[in-house]
Amino acid sequence: MMKCVEEGHSIVALANATPPATLKKEEMDSYLFQTVGQTFVPYIAECMGLPLYQQEIQGSAIYQELEYNETSGDETEDLYKLIKRVLVDHPDISGVSVGAILSSYQANRVSHVCKRLGLEMHAYLWQREQKELFEEMLSSDLEAVIIKVAGIGLKQSDLMKSLGEMRTKLFSLNEKYGSHICGEGGEYETFTLNCPLFKKKIRVTDWSSVVHSDDIFDPVCFAKIEKVILEDK
Amino acid sequence: MVNFTIDQIRGLMDKVANIRNMSVIAHVDHGKSTLTDSLVSKAGIISSAKAGETRFTDTRQDEQDRCITIKSTAISMYFELPQESMADIKQKTDGSGFLINLIDSPGHVDFSSEVTAALRVTDGALVVVDCISGVSVQTETVLRQALTEKIKPVVIINKVDRALLELQLTKEDLYTSFLRTVENVNVIIATYFDPTMGELQVSPEKGTVAFGSGLHGWAFTITQFAARYAKKFGVDKSKMMNKLWGDNYFNPKTKKWTTKDTDAAGKPLERAFNMFVLDPIFKIFDSVTNFRKEEALTMLEKLDVGLKSDEKDLEGKALLKVAMRKFLPAADALLEMICVHLPSPLTSQAYRVAGLYEGPMDDECAVAIRNCDSNGPLMLYVSKMVPTSDKGRFYAFGRVFSGTVRSGQKVRIQGPNYTPGKKEDLFIKSIQRTILMMGRYVEPIEDCPAGNIIGLVGVDQFLLKSGTITTSETAHNLKVMKFSVSPVVQIAVDVKNANDLPKLVEGLKRLSKSDPCVQCFTSESGEHIVAGAGELHLEICLKDLEEDHAQVPIKTGDPVVPYRETVQSESSIVCLSKSPNKHNRIFMKAMPLDDELTQEIEDGKITPRDDFKIRAREMAEKYGWDVTDARKIWCFGPDTLGPNLLVDVTKGVQYLNEIKDSCVAAFQWATREGPLADEVMRGIRFNILDVTLHADAIHRGGGQIIPTARRVLYASTLTADPGIQEPVYLVEIQCPENAIGGIYGVLNRRRGHVFSEEQRPGTPMYSIKAYMPVNESFGFTADLRSNTGGQAFPQCVFDHWQIMNGSPLQAGKVQDIVLGIRKRKGLSAEIPSLDRYLDKL
Repeated sequence: MMKCVEEGHSIVALANATPPATLKKEEMDSYLFQTVGQTFVPYIAECMGLPLYQQEIQGSAIYQELEYNETSGDETEDLYKLIKRVLVDHPDISGVSVGAILSSYQANRVSHVCKRLGLEMHAYLWQREQKELFEEMLSSDLEAVIIKVAGIGLKQSDLMKSLGEMRTKLFSLNEKYGSHICGEGGEYETFTLNCPLFKKKIRVTDWSSVVHSDDIFDPVCFAKIEKVILEDK
Repeated sequence: MVNFTIDQIRGLMDKVANIRNMSVIAHVDHGKSTLTDSLVSKAGIISSAKAGETRFTDTRQDEQDRCITIKSTAISMYFELPQESMADIKQKTDGSGFLINLIDSPGHVDFSSEVTAALRVTDGALVVVDCISGVSVQTETVLRQALTEKIKPVVIINKVDRALLELQLTKEDLYTSFLRTVENVNVIIATYFDPTMGELQVSPEKGTVAFGSGLHGWAFTITQFAARYAKKFGVDKSKMMNKLWGDNYFNPKTKKWTTKDTDAAGKPLERAFNMFVLDPIFKIFDSVTNFRKEEALTMLEKLDVGLKSDEKDLEGKALLKVAMRKFLPAADALLEMICVHLPSPLTSQAYRVAGLYEGPMDDECAVAIRNCDSNGPLMLYVSKMVPTSDKGRFYAFGRVFSGTVRSGQKVRIQGPNYTPGKKEDLFIKSIQRTILMMGRYVEPIEDCPAGNIIGLVGVDQFLLKSGTITTSETAHNLKVMKFSVSPVVQIAVDVKNANDLPKLVEGLKRLSKSDPCVQCFTSESGEHIVAGAGELHLEICLKDLEEDHAQVPIKTGDPVVPYRETVQSESSIVCLSKSPNKHNRIFMKAMPLDDELTQEIEDGKITPRDDFKIRAREMAEKYGWDVTDARKIWCFGPDTLGPNLLVDVTKGVQYLNEIKDSCVAAFQWATREGPLADEVMRGIRFNILDVTLHADAIHRGGGQIIPTARRVLYASTLTADPGIQEPVYLVEIQCPENAIGGIYGVLNRRRGHVFSEEQRPGTPMYSIKAYMPVNESFGFTADLRSNTGGQAFPQCVFDHWQIMNGSPLQAGKVQDIVLGIRKRKGLSAEIPSLDRYLDKL
C-alpha cells in the first residue's frame, strides 16, 4: 500500500477475507488468505481512516493448479465476491493492490479476479529481491510483528517479535535451509502495528500463544491477539 | 655414528627409482620397534651396541615406559646394496645406493589409525609376525589395510630365538610353524588379487619372507643361504632358492636332489631347508647354550664369521648374540629384501594413482602422479599432524606424489570437503619451511621432490587432520584415508576450574589435530566429548589433553559407547506428515536393510559414487532388490555415505525432483540423529511412497519440506519396530592353558561369548577369540590380568553392531538404555509420542 501511494495512487478502501464466524478458529490453513490476526483488521482500517469490507471465506482450495480457472466453491470466488462488493460502493476504483512477492499461485488468483471485474492488479513487491525488500521495510518506519510461525527453525518464542528483532535469524535460516526471508513460502505471517500510512498506531496489550499443530520439529504456532489499544502518533 | 648428511640425502631424493618408502606393521608386541632399531643401527644413527635395548622410534616418554608404540615415526636410512644382489631387482634402478624411508607404526589396535596414516605415505610394508603367536588379529587388520592401499608386503617371521631357546622346537617343527605362518599370510593376501601390482603372495623361496630375531639382531632370507650354497655347489642362485624351501630333500650319499622324504632304501631324508638353513643355526645355538664353546668357535670360523678376541671371551647369551649377529646380520638381510622386493615410488605410483586420486585419470595431476614426475604440478597428501616443541603448533607430515615442494612456495591447501571449482575448504598460502623428519629429530631441507616423505611448517592452521596440497588450480583431492577402527568409546571431559574452560576448548582442538582417529565434539547438552577406538586410546588421548594440549586439570565422566538406531520390520502403517503450511504431504514407510548390504555400504563396497545402473543390477542379484527401485536410490546417509537409503518408489509424481534436495537434507539430518535417542541410524531403507505438493514452488521450499521429511522419516522409523544396536568387540587373547578358566569367568561376567579356542601348534599357548559388547569392556584388561595372574593380554577391535533384544518403546532394559542416553544428552525425558511426527489425512 505504501508503494501504491508512492506511485501516485490513492487508497480508498480496504478488503479482507475472514474465516466463517461458525468456524470459531482463527487459522484455517487457507491456500490464499492469511487468517491469523484477522479479528483485529478493523483496527488497521481505523488507523488508516478507511472503510473496510470483509467477506467470509465460504470456499476452499478446490482448484489447486498454478493457474486458476473459475471454479465454483473455490476460495478464490470469495475474493471475487469481496471485490465485487467494494466496487458497488466505489465504482470509480481502478485497481487492487496485492502484497505478493513470489507466490504465483496467489498472484494468479488475484489477477484472475481483477480481470473478470475489469480492474488492474498492482503488485509492486512482485519478484523483488527478498533481502533488499526486507531491509527496505526495516528502514521505512514500518512496524510489524510475527503472529504465526510455520517453517523450519521458527519457534513459539519468536511470536510477537518485530521484523527487526528477527532479522539475523531469518537471514541465517535462509542461508542454512533456503527458507524465504520474507516468509513468502508460508514460513511466517505478520501483523502491522504502525506504518507511515497510519494516522494512529496499534499497541497489543494482551495476547496468548496457540499451538496449531504440535509437530516435534518446528511446531506451527500463532499469537492470538486478545486486546489492542490505539495510540496517537 | 651418522653415516650420511642432509646434503647427501637430498641428492638421493632425486633418484626416485632408488627410494623405498616402507612401513613396519604388525600385531602389538611382535617386535616391530626392536626390529626397526636393528635397521636403524645399520644406517648408523645410533650405535650398534645399543640396538635391541633402545627403542629409537619410540620418542615419547610413555612409549618407552609402556614399551608400546603410540605414534608412528619416520626415519630415513641409506643402504648400499651389494653388487651381486642388484641383478635380483625386477624394476628400474639408478645405482646401488638406496634411500629407505621407514615408518614404524603402533601395533596396538587402538592406534590403527596411525598405521593407516603411515601406509598412505609408503609403498611397501614389512609385516612382522611373531613366530610363536603367529598371524594375530591385528596382523590381519593392518595387512588388509595395507593391501587396500595397494601397499606391497614382505614378511619377517620374528622372535625365532624364542622358538629355539624357550620352546626347543625341532627343525621340522620349526619349518612347519614357518610354513603355516606364511600360508596364513597368503590366505589374507589372496583376497586382494590385483594384476597391476604383480605378484603379491609372499614366499621364502622368492626371498620375500625373512626369518630372524630383532632382539638379537639377526635375520636371514633364503636368498642369502642360496647365494652361499650356489657358489659351493656351482649352481644358479635362483635354482638353489627353490630347492631350499618346500618339499625338496638332498641325499648326501648320492649327492642328488629329490622331492621324496625318503631315499631308495626307505630311510628318511632331511628337508633341504632344515639341512642347509636351519642346521647351522641350530648348531650354533646348541653349542653356545650348552657351553661347548670350542665347538661353537670352530663352526663360526668355518662359516667365515670372524669374532674379535674380546668377543670370543663372551659366554652364553651374550656370545650367542654376537655370533648370530655377525653370522646373519639382520639389517643386511632385511634391507636387501626391502630394496629388492618393495617397489620404488616410480613403480608403485603407476598402479596406485587410480586408488589415490579422485579426479579424472587423464588430467595433469593424474599423469604427474602416475609418472612420479618432480617437474609436474605439486600433489602432496598430508596424512597426519605431528606436534612440534612449539605448543599448539604442528608439522604437517605427508608424501609428495608429484612435483616438488619447497620452502616459501605458494600452494593451494585443500581440505577433505573441497570440491574443484569451489572455494570451500580451500586456502592459498605459502609453505614456511620444509623439513626432514627423522625419529626424534627434524632437519630443515630446501625442497623435496616427488616420491619422498616430508614435513611442512606453517600449514597446520589450515587443515584439520589431513588434506591435499597442490599447485594445480584444477587438481582434485587425493582420496581421504579410510580407517579400520571406529571411535566406539566416548568420554565426557570438563575442567576442574571453570576459568580453564577456554584452555580446554583450545586443547581439544589440538588433540583432534594430533590424532588421526580421535573425535572431539560438543554434545547438544554442552558436554565436551572425546571419542576414541578403545580404553587405552582414550587414556592416552586424555593424558595428552591434560598434560600437553590443554595443560589444565581436567575431570572425566564414565566412558560410554555410541549406539545405533535401526528398525526390525516394515512400518505397520503408511506414514504421512504435512508441511507446516499444511499444503504439502509426504507418505513414507521404513524397512530394514539386509545385514550384508548394510555391511557392504559401511565397508565402502557399495557407495553413492558407483554407476547407478551397475549398482542396481548388483543389488538386484545379491539382495533381491527390484531393479527399478534400486536405480532410484536418492541418497545414502548420514554424511552421504552411511548405511541408510532413501528410495523413491513413487509413480508419476509432479514436481518430485524439485523437493529432492530438501528431502536429502532432511534425510542426512534424521539419519545422523535418530528419533529414539539422537543416535546415528543404521540399516534402514526409507521408501517415499507418494507426495502431494503445492503447485507453486515457493510454497514447497526447504523451510516447508525439510521439517516435513524429517518428521515422516521418524514416524516411519517409530512404526517399524525400532531397535537399538550396540557395538561389539572381537577380543583375541593369547594365554597359557592354565589361564583359560579365568578368562572364561571374566568374559561371562561381561556378556562375552567365546567362539574359538585353539592351541598354537608346537607351543603351549592358546588363542581364544570371543565377542564382547564394547559397553562391557571398561576395565576389561585389568580385570583379565588380575584373574589370570597377569598371563592374559587381550586385543579388542571393533567388529560389528549387534541388535539388543527388546523394544525401546516398551519398559525394559533397552528402554532404560535409551532413556539413559536421552538424559545424558539433555533431551526430553521420554521418547516423544508418535502423533507429534504423524499427521492425519
